[in-house]
Amino acid sequence: MPADPNMKILVVDDMSTMRRIVKNILKQLGFNNLEEAENGQEALTKLKADTYGFVVSDWNMPVMMGIDMLRAIRADEALKKIPVLMVTAEAQKENLMEAVQAGVSNYVVKPFTAETMQEKINKIFK
Amino acid sequence: MIQPRAAAQSQPAMHEPEQEDKTPDTKLYEELGELARFIDTTMKTLSEFSAPVSTSTEQLPQALTHLTNLKTMTEQGTHRVMLEVEAIQDNHLKLSGMIKDLTLTLQKQQVAPALLQQMQAVANAVNADDKRLLDIMTALSFQDLVAQSVNKLVTILQEVEHKLLQLVVVFGPYQKQAAKKEQDKASEMLKQLEATKNTSMNQDLADEILKQFGFN
Repeated sequence: MPADPNMKILVVDDMSTMRRIVKNILKQLGFNNLEEAENGQEALTKLKADTYGFVVSDWNMPVMMGIDMLRAIRADEALKKIPVLMVTAEAQKENLMEAVQAGVSNYVVKPFTAETMQEKINKIFK
Repeated sequence: MIQPRAAAQSQPAMHEPEQEDKTPDTKLYEELGELARFIDTTMKTLSEFSAPVSTSTEQLPQALTHLTNLKTMTEQGTHRVMLEVEAIQDNHLKLSGMIKDLTLTLQKQQVAPALLQQMQAVANAVNADDKRLLDIMTALSFQDLVAQSVNKLVTILQEVEHKLLQLVVVFGPYQKQAAKKEQDKASEMLKQLEATKNTSMNQDLADEILKQFGFN
């Protein structure tokens, strides 16, 4: 199923510059309903309060790491089906394996290009 | 305080040339004496490090501040570039809409095909620039990587500072005066950085001052 351009997307990253970059790319890809959160905890609160169709998250964040947020999403009956794309500088094989085991939908390593993000989104919503 | 070396020295002199002739007590005292001298020498050597260690410990908080500032400055600079990129992207969006409308109007008026081709070339150029703008935007993710490296460095420096402080406390009094004498390259660089921070000004302030000197 192709991605709905009107779905609400949550961008989670502790760095304001990265949130802005990811939002800009998503906007250029045709997604305009974009929200942001600074850490996993804030993201979970937002996800529980509203309906989101997609989450793009960093790994390393204060308060709650992206991987812990992912586990919490997958453990929550109401949220577990939301696709989660990890965008992270954690380029170790172990990290990727951990994310896959936790139920990540796809994984982008920083620095990345808009094409890479588009390719991953297409794969998630094919 | 017990002085093992003194204790060792207070023992009667032993004249027996052969080791095997010494009584176990004498051998023990000799070994304890050796050990005491070794500890004493080690303590003296470590105390000599007290001043440079104190200096380094004093400089570390400054270095930490400068590293944190570096992160903030790259973040601010990146946002500034992003602001401009986003403004151009918005203009391009409007421009693309205008080109589309204009092309439709020209098609309705059945203008020369060459004119329509030119309009298409303009549209293609705008699209190509949009791609470049997106590339600039994604290239700015370097700031995130810089910030993460700085965060790691800050954590390491904080740990080093903690361990250095422990060394200073254990091996010698905190010698602030001695530290001041240690004007090495690092402290000079930190001073220069500090001076830059204190004397730097924004363009508005610079313009205000220039205006007072007759610059318009």
